[in-house]
Amino acid sequence: MPKCKKSEGQAIDYASKLLSTAEAASFEQHLKNCSECKEAVESFTTLLNLTDMAEQEVALPDAALRDIEMNVYKRLAATQQDESLFSRVRGYFANIESLFRWHKTAAASTIVIAMITAAVLVGELFQPEVGLQLTESQSADARMEEYLQQDIQRHLDDAMITHHLRNDAWETESHLHRVQEQAQGTNWMKVPQTLSVSNTIKTAATGY
Amino acid sequence: MDKLIDDEMLVAQFQAGRQNAFDELMKRYKSKIFSYLLRSVRNYEDAEDITIEVFFKAYRALEHWQPKAKFSTWLYKIAANLVIDYHRAKARHPVYALEDMEIPEANLVATDQYSNPVKELEEKERGRIIREAVDQLSPKQKAVFILNRYEGLQLKEVAETLGMAEGTVKIHLHRAMKRLQTMLHSLWENNEI
Ligand SMILES: [Zn+2]
Repeated sequence: MPKCKKSEGQAIDYASKLLSTAEAASFEQHLKNCSECKEAVESFTTLLNLTDMAEQEVALPDAALRDIEMNVYKRLAATQQDESLFSRVRGYFANIESLFRWHKTAAASTIVIAMITAAVLVGELFQPEVGLQLTESQSADARMEEYLQQDIQRHLDDAMITHHLRNDAWETESHLHRVQEQAQGTNWMKVPQTLSVSNTIKTAATGY
Repeated sequence: MDKLIDDEMLVAQFQAGRQNAFDELMKRYKSKIFSYLLRSVRNYEDAEDITIEVFFKAYRALEHWQPKAKFSTWLYKIAANLVIDYHRAKARHPVYALEDMEIPEANLVATDQYSNPVKELEEKERGRIIREAVDQLSPKQKAVFILNRYEGLQLKEVAETLGMAEGTVKIHLHRAMKRLQTMLHSLWENNEI
């Protein structure tokens, strides 16, 4: 039998379905009269069936797959380099409801663990307020107001995190809803432009 | 979220400050990236760690991402580079563990109570032999083979992912197939399967 001039590569491409429709049709015509190429195509097709079967046996672990998002955010929070990260982590928790919908089976504990991690990291993110720069023109009143607002917001945030942690039995979506509503009520989701500080506090602050 | 929103649109939304968009991208790609990594490193824990690393890197780089290529190709590129790093580190600090044993195959075989346990064992063994053969390929051959065959990437996308010319991808793919054929043809020619 004379050696076929077609390359083995064409048999591979044909078996791998990498040829265009026109190329495949033309090669099929060739196959009708070339036992050498026909044999090669059969061999590579068998090979691919075998490797497909073997590789499909590789199963993804559900638990690990389920926790990917959470672990990515933990990893991000751990770097502490992203200044706006806290708000993003917060945003993620705001969306946690949809997470529940995807994975009904996601145990409440997983979320609580993530919450604890987030809380710890958040605590770290909160501590140094190095970015704070006040201009000379700002009055002492305004300054105090600013400090107060920051402090109040910080306490609100802390309170919310603690609240989440204490309620470690997030078993139902309705519970989750309630916590979210409470969070919104305390402006946990949004950093407010202005914060109504009671007159008493104001007076106390300015008289300081 | 609307499935019709394409990845690149989600990236734009993320860049505009919409956090959910990144969650959606992770949801879309975590299985794909994980399975690619699992086939590349054949170890669950490492595959999981690298998957997290891929999205971590993506998150941090996405702010400045320009839509020169598909988002998915870019993501695979991050993963492929991490696989290279992983194998490099492994070569420096080889771990002689029976990692292949970690791949559970039990749930793949027929659950029919009348099925032949000897046959099941043979099938498991066959799967293991085949995966070992795939692992014997050169890193480039294996990467090309897996990305094209199991991740469904077009040759052009494989080329972008691995930073090669498309022609080079094809050469690696042909070599991979010929090598696998040499290693495995006895399996079917001697009617062992
Ligand atoms: Zn021929």
